[in-house]
Amino acid sequence: MIFDEPKFAPGGDRYIRVEFGDEMNLELNFMAQGLAGALGESGTKGLVETAPCFATLLVHYEPREISYGDMVTELKSLIASLGSSDEIEMNSRLFTFETLYLDPWTKECIDDYREKLNPDKEYDPDFVARLNGLEDRHQLVRVHSGTEYWVASLGFWPGLPFLQPLDPRAMITCPKYNPPRTWTPQGTVAMGGSASAIYPVATPGGYQLFGRTPVPIWDTTKRFDVFQGDIVLFQPGDRIKFQPVTREVYDDAERKIADGSYIYNIIEYQKFSVRNYKEWIGKLDTSERF
Amino acid sequence: MLEIIKPGLETSIQDFPGRVGYWNQGFPPSGPLDSWSFRLANILVGNDAGAPGLEAQFMGPTLKFQQDGVIACTGANMAPKLDGEEIPMWESVAVKAGQTLVMGPALKGARGYFAVAGGIDAPEWLGSASTFHKASVGGLDGNAIKAGQMLPVKAGQGQAGRRVKADCHPQFATDKKWHIEAVAGPNDDWIDAAGHAQFLATDWKLEARSDRTGYRLDGPDWTFTDKATNKPPENGEFPSNIIDHGYPMGGVNLCGQKPIILVNDGPSMGGFIVPYTVPSAAFWKLGQMKPNEFISFNRVSVEEAQALRIELDDLCGENSIE
Repeated sequence: MIFDEPKFAPGGDRYIRVEFGDEMNLELNFMAQGLAGALGESGTKGLVETAPCFATLLVHYEPREISYGDMVTELKSLIASLGSSDEIEMNSRLFTFETLYLDPWTKECIDDYREKLNPDKEYDPDFVARLNGLEDRHQLVRVHSGTEYWVASLGFWPGLPFLQPLDPRAMITCPKYNPPRTWTPQGTVAMGGSASAIYPVATPGGYQLFGRTPVPIWDTTKRFDVFQGDIVLFQPGDRIKFQPVTREVYDDAERKIADGSYIYNIIEYQKFSVRNYKEWIGKLDTSERF
Repeated sequence: MLEIIKPGLETSIQDFPGRVGYWNQGFPPSGPLDSWSFRLANILVGNDAGAPGLEAQFMGPTLKFQQDGVIACTGANMAPKLDGEEIPMWESVAVKAGQTLVMGPALKGARGYFAVAGGIDAPEWLGSASTFHKASVGGLDGNAIKAGQMLPVKAGQGQAGRRVKADCHPQFATDKKWHIEAVAGPNDDWIDAAGHAQFLATDWKLEARSDRTGYRLDGPDWTFTDKATNKPPENGEFPSNIIDHGYPMGGVNLCGQKPIILVNDGPSMGGFIVPYTVPSAAFWKLGQMKPNEFISFNRVSVEEAQALRIELDDLCGENSIE
């Protein structure tokens, strides 16, 4: 449910957790990100940083400058001034990534897992397609690539985005691996629960795998301009589009990344309006599938 | 320049307060676990309290000085010796070019700190020189220091013979039991009364598989309220599962039944509840405990935890020096 009044709880001497509800619902993340934005602009004394997640916002403050009680009062007043979530508008960049779905590298990873940890593991794209009543793995590709994804939060590993589909017709769910994998190829596109993700580097993991992008989302060498001010590509509130490509296009992008001539496809002029978004999904037949 | 003869165990460059401000991109702050000892080392040699220095874990490094300077060793007692002669801890000491400092195994406490006048000159990543080796960020090359490396040192104005007053530096537990403060929340309402009573009554054993990302505790199983057992399915199947949320540093994160205290290199978010949070003023104790020692938690209020932090910050300054 979405709570009538957000709940506040302390995390030790320097954090406050604001909880907007207890379900997976994009609306809750819009509220968390809306509050993070408003708090950042408010110039509130003692604010150190914020971290939105699906249904909550974590606020980090400096207790020498503001008390817990005063920060909660400030947060309540900001939430009141934000009004309905319909009023929230956020700057939102759109990233497009060449993605090779049903690629050989994640297949190799799944095969390795089957060999070493779980011989009964169904090939991930077939498993996710079956669970969600889709015809086959090819429809899974159509459905998964048929929407923009919302960067709800980043974590687990620096720069790893937790993504929610903005188009409800692309909403699919699946369980995580049990036991988890010991490795995952860098750039893997995967999902667990209702969240999709891109693995910034090769790490262990538990999401179901079905594609790969060659485009770095994390870079300590700063070879590309997009990493000049940061090591990590995304911020909460960005949007991502996975563009299905052929092996040739994938290899071409990979070559350009290797020689430094790759150009990131980023659109920066757009604002995300919760009102416009809700009006749009209100018109959709959400039982349709691509 | 400082030449690394032996690196010790995972000795890393850290600064304070570390890489703060990137939690929403999944970046932990890193920085010294015992920032009390770390800051005092810097104050002793005339640096800003947060200047880059070294944190050694369980076994200290051997360093050869390429230039004259002033140094200080604080934190765990690693019996520092300069050219074979024992030197005092919690005191600034003059060193000459060509001399060698040996920091040995930690005799008392777990983490030793080393500061040099001027501070170590390491590049900043996202505003901090702190090493976060899991992601190969910070320090000289993203990792712990290695034998043969040369650490550049900034110009400094140190003065030898400055001492920390005896009652102004941390005292380490001698009975292997640490009393560590904990504030209830943010998810304390998921634990029932018996679970809370048990958390506070238990001597939790620190497991060997603990590091700068998390402190794993061995103890009894937890018991839960209805909130944990009767919840929307997207929270996950186990009582301690919750819709992924941001973790406070110091959070006592309940992974299944296993409490893990999230420390300086820990994760920013995840899908387990955090019934208690260890406040910042108690982190130095975590930094100085060894595996197989015990934690007894003392519940404190937010206001008490904040007063402790302010008290501790005040100790990390010039007024602690004689």
